[in-house]
Amino acid sequence: MNLNSDDTPISAAAIPADDFALMRTENLARWPTGADVDLDEAVEFHKSLPQEKQLGWVMRRAAEEGRCLTQPRGGFGTLELQLELMRALDQDGMADIVPTTTDSYTRNEQWEQAATGIEESKRQGRSMLNGFPMVNYGPKEARKLIEAINKPAIVLSGTAMPRLTCEVGFAAGFSGYLGSGIAYTTSYTKDTSIAEGIRNYQYLDRLAALYQEKGVELHRRQPGFLTGTNVPPCIAIAVGVLDALLAAGQGVKNYGLELAQTLHLIQDAAAIKVCGELAQEYLLAAGFEDMFTPVTSLHWMGAWPQDDAQSAALVSYGGTLAAVGGAVSVTTKSTHEAYGIPTPAANAEGLRTTRMAVYLARHIRLDDLPEFKAEVDLLRRETRPIIDKALEMGDGDAALGAVRALEAGALDIPWSPSRFVKSRVMPARDADGYLRIYDPGDMVFASDVAEIHTERLKKRAEVEGVAFDRNLAVKSVYEISEPLDKLLPFPWAAE
Amino acid sequence: MSSINRESITLVTGVIGADTHIVGNRILSMGLEEAGFKVVTLGALTPAAEFVKAAIETAADGIMVSSLYGQGELDCRGFRDLCIEAGLDGILLYIGGSLVVGKQEWSEVEGRFLGMGFDRAFANATRVEDVVEALDKDFAARKKSG
Repeated sequence: MNLNSDDTPISAAAIPADDFALMRTENLARWPTGADVDLDEAVEFHKSLPQEKQLGWVMRRAAEEGRCLTQPRGGFGTLELQLELMRALDQDGMADIVPTTTDSYTRNEQWEQAATGIEESKRQGRSMLNGFPMVNYGPKEARKLIEAINKPAIVLSGTAMPRLTCEVGFAAGFSGYLGSGIAYTTSYTKDTSIAEGIRNYQYLDRLAALYQEKGVELHRRQPGFLTGTNVPPCIAIAVGVLDALLAAGQGVKNYGLELAQTLHLIQDAAAIKVCGELAQEYLLAAGFEDMFTPVTSLHWMGAWPQDDAQSAALVSYGGTLAAVGGAVSVTTKSTHEAYGIPTPAANAEGLRTTRMAVYLARHIRLDDLPEFKAEVDLLRRETRPIIDKALEMGDGDAALGAVRALEAGALDIPWSPSRFVKSRVMPARDADGYLRIYDPGDMVFASDVAEIHTERLKKRAEVEGVAFDRNLAVKSVYEISEPLDKLLPFPWAAE
Repeated sequence: MSSINRESITLVTGVIGADTHIVGNRILSMGLEEAGFKVVTLGALTPAAEFVKAAIETAADGIMVSSLYGQGELDCRGFRDLCIEAGLDGILLYIGGSLVVGKQEWSEVEGRFLGMGFDRAFANATRVEDVVEALDKDFAARKKSG
């Protein structure tokens, strides 16, 4: 019996317990460390952890207390380097949540190549992998990472194939896991069908639910940044809500939603508010009454400037945006972002810069500001029809609806590498700094909503004295990475 | 300048290796089409052999390789040889993006890729206009030399 077959009909229904047991056996046999996964032992270990090292509890508590927690990204190729990194992020960076990013071989389930990468890293004395090879080390070794820190830990693994990595991660004692079927499949693959990606994440969600049944509440999280390039909030939220419905279908109770910052204070605050609101609205309508859905705000996910000073401004402002918007946590970057993977010291500095910004903004809210209210209203009117259309196309089933809506372009992701996504929608920044939609592709918006987008972007073209065309979208991709003398030169400089 | 006929030139574009960074490559493809070239887009996650296969099938005049994730240096080794073995002796090869791991001197990086047989290497954030200008110049020179 092949339970992974692509011709199994896709649905949002929970995987039956017997089927899941078979799937797990098959999955764990794919690499030797799979044999070290002992669910009952892992459940006992999670229960033995103090509450402040359990991300499910920590996220709930932070939401209750109105806090904005900080979390970086980070992973290196050997256990020794990863231990050092996680200690530095925990202690020097004061991270509230400590990450382990996996390397690209692990994400692509190329464990033999990851093994070579570990050896090379040991030989060279530096990381030759862009993350931690979780599966190769296995749950026993990886548990040393959990024991080395005093905070909860989360696995970050950008892939459409999380099945074995999640088994190892949870068994090691990681209490958080980022990733989802729609978001990651549309953003990290070219030839993987959306249905296959959804199935792989239904496995992960079903596993998290199994821990829940045994009394351990893990934190699952949806990677709302998608392609990381000017994703309009309405699209991020629509995908987030559909992914949340899929997770709820498997029995997940603690599910975070991420939103990448647009870098517009009002738009980002509105997005955080509407995201939490609509998630609950659609979950309730589908009969899921007790899913906790905190929102996480992500530092700028597009191209970064080369200049450290400019990057520092993005890091700091990113803390402000998260705190003012009322996000429960913020995922940070550092001044090294334009060059790739940061050193532990630079990563820790990004955390502290963000933390100070969160502190400074902790009392500020925009709720009564007319422009904020208008943006919230607009965003609701943009987003609901996208979700409604997808659910309608799936005859009420979120999995089927997502597949069909993406295929038809009724749900579209800008700049997606996947051939199962139309990727015709084109966002651009308007004259006031809001991210708007220049070309909706095959997505359908109410005419008054579409008119607002067009009018604002035409205003920008007019102000800049350029044509109202596709170049508005292209320029918006590069804008934030441009040097200061281009973005904001001394206006009265002598020729 | 435009002694060359862009409509008669076919270019293959794509992102090499296990790299999903598609944005810059797509902007390049759009820009090249707008400039009048015939463009065959292979998209993200494209193995070296697929570039060559597509170039043969479409009788392409040039291959435009993008790489953003740092491992381009590994992915591009032997690329010119693959082309020669497939009979694409004189095909124009461009490479662009963040070509190596971490921050390194551009002149060294460029030299390394030219040494690998690329006709030109472009640093990250090169604008499409500059690439079109280089293409015009290179194809005009080829026309002249025969």
